[in-house]
Amino acid sequence: MAKVELAAVYKRFGTLEICSNINLVVADKEFVTLLGSSGCGKTTILNMIAGLEDVSAGEIRMEGRVVNNLTPFERDVAMVFQNYALYPHMTVAENIGFTLRLRRISRAEIEKRVGTIAGLLELTPLLGRLPSQLSGGQQQRVAIGRAMVREPKTFLFDEPFSNLDAALRVRMRSEIKLLHQRLGVTSIFVTHDQEEALSISDRVAVVNEGRVEQVGTPEEIYVRPVSRYVARFIGSPQIDLLDGAIVEESGGTGFRVGHVLFALPQPLVHALRTQGALEMGVRPENVLIADQGTAANVRVVNPVGPASFVTLAWEGGLITARVPGMSRLKAGEAVQFNVDPQHLMFFDKASGRRIEVPAGL
Amino acid sequence: MQGKPSKLGRLSIQLGLGIFGFWTLAPIAWLVVSSLMQQQALTATPPDFSPSAFTFQNYVEVMNSAAALGRGLANSLIVAVSTTAVALAVGAPAAYALARFQLPGSGPILLMILATQMFPGIVVAIPMFIVMSHLGLIDSRLGLVIVYLSFNLPIVIWILHGFFLAIPVGLERAAAVDGATTLQIFRLIVLPISWPPIFATAIFAFIESWNEFFFALILTRQNAQTVPLVISQFAGQYQTVFGQMMAAATMAVTPVVVIAIIFRQSIMKGFTEGMIKS
Repeated sequence: MAKVELAAVYKRFGTLEICSNINLVVADKEFVTLLGSSGCGKTTILNMIAGLEDVSAGEIRMEGRVVNNLTPFERDVAMVFQNYALYPHMTVAENIGFTLRLRRISRAEIEKRVGTIAGLLELTPLLGRLPSQLSGGQQQRVAIGRAMVREPKTFLFDEPFSNLDAALRVRMRSEIKLLHQRLGVTSIFVTHDQEEALSISDRVAVVNEGRVEQVGTPEEIYVRPVSRYVARFIGSPQIDLLDGAIVEESGGTGFRVGHVLFALPQPLVHALRTQGALEMGVRPENVLIADQGTAANVRVVNPVGPASFVTLAWEGGLITARVPGMSRLKAGEAVQFNVDPQHLMFFDKASGRRIEVPAGL
Repeated sequence: MQGKPSKLGRLSIQLGLGIFGFWTLAPIAWLVVSSLMQQQALTATPPDFSPSAFTFQNYVEVMNSAAALGRGLANSLIVAVSTTAVALAVGAPAAYALARFQLPGSGPILLMILATQMFPGIVVAIPMFIVMSHLGLIDSRLGLVIVYLSFNLPIVIWILHGFFLAIPVGLERAAAVDGATTLQIFRLIVLPISWPPIFATAIFAFIESWNEFFFALILTRQNAQTVPLVISQFAGQYQTVFGQMMAAATMAVTPVVVIAIIFRQSIMKGFTEGMIKS
């Protein structure tokens, strides 16, 4: 089992800086996800951890030992690739056993270990098949089996579910999570799917333009994002950002957007009034359709089963509300809404950083 | 996706293919027919196609001069097989290295390899002759192999380079994570999955060497003469024995044609696979 550390790691291709000052500690047995949009550098970080890409500057340590110059094999990592990268000319059994064959382990022992893994992943009837004769989900399991058979100290997953259909993807999430609970091997997972990241990880590292924007538990990332970028990236539908200003006037105190004043508790207004231009972030679950409040018109209703997302047009633009169950609201219908002042977020408009409000406000 | 061609479209495609097929096959058919005709019947105007004009005598005559043809066939086989083997043994790793490793100057190297194909053989014929004669390799099979490699190796490198580029790099990365060295990756992963294009390239190199005439004419005398030269000798100073020449030519091209027919699917697969792989 292994602790993985990245200390001030940089990756440059010529003058182009792909990753800047990456600092990340993955504890022994922890499951950490690198989450970011495509092209943000997350796969490059994973490749550097694996030893498939050189590090331009900084150190990667495993169990306290600097591994910058070690081969992937010497680092004792196993990796599941986005396209599975199964060897097309080898059967399932040969694919899984390839790493053992390279280590000159006896044929009987290879057969035994491949058999065990195949049993665990329900691959036993498929052992004689070629990858081209397998479905996407089966190929995925072979790729995982190939990684497991090594009994590595660290598992690396590079968007392993991106080629699967939605239902299988959700099932595989649970399988990976179960596998991690059972084996307890340090795992680093890369994805662009925030829902996947939140559902599977102990901690999530949000990567943006080659930098780690925030590292935290799924709850921290969702509830206390450090920046507008993280807030917008996490959560579906996206958080709504309202452009306005803190006001303290005879009519009330709060956050004013155009003619609409969202009332806020006095201490919160106090905490925020010294700040410059602000944006207020509201997640759909904190927009409440009520009998009294800001006037709006229903634009679109998107039922998703257990809830519906209702997009409202109001003076400040569009805002999305989450209502329980299958909503009966119709497009064009006039409604009113409020926001829950307990769960609002405020961002500095210039820097995009979230303004930390003292607890209890 | 494009829709199916119309009836007229299909007809014109078939007509076009028919003309192309006739254009390609007519000389070969004429080769075979004339190899079975007597000299007088063949040289008559118009040629005499009556049944009595046909004979196997030309083949019998060629067999009687079997020493020359046999030596030619053996030389051609040795030279073509050796050239192909060395071109692949050297060309495949070179192509892989150029495709995968960030070698300094790999761009210019590739360009130079291509450049060697851009001038006609006659340009290098005299320097090549001088070099070979200094090395004592005139009229030797080794000399021919070396010369044939000079144009076969670049072709092998170019074809395989394109194919290796098309192999998903993830496969090699997976093998590296599995603990394979670069050599093991090449031997155990890259080569086995590249079998169709390597095979197609081998056939291509073999045919190129087998059919080569120009350098064989310049660089050989008697011992190392290849089949095309032996065939050409049926054209004498005073008389060209057309029937025998055609019979010898038919016998010479038969192995190549048979190879091409037997392995046509592998050859097609080999040359098209690199183009569609993502």
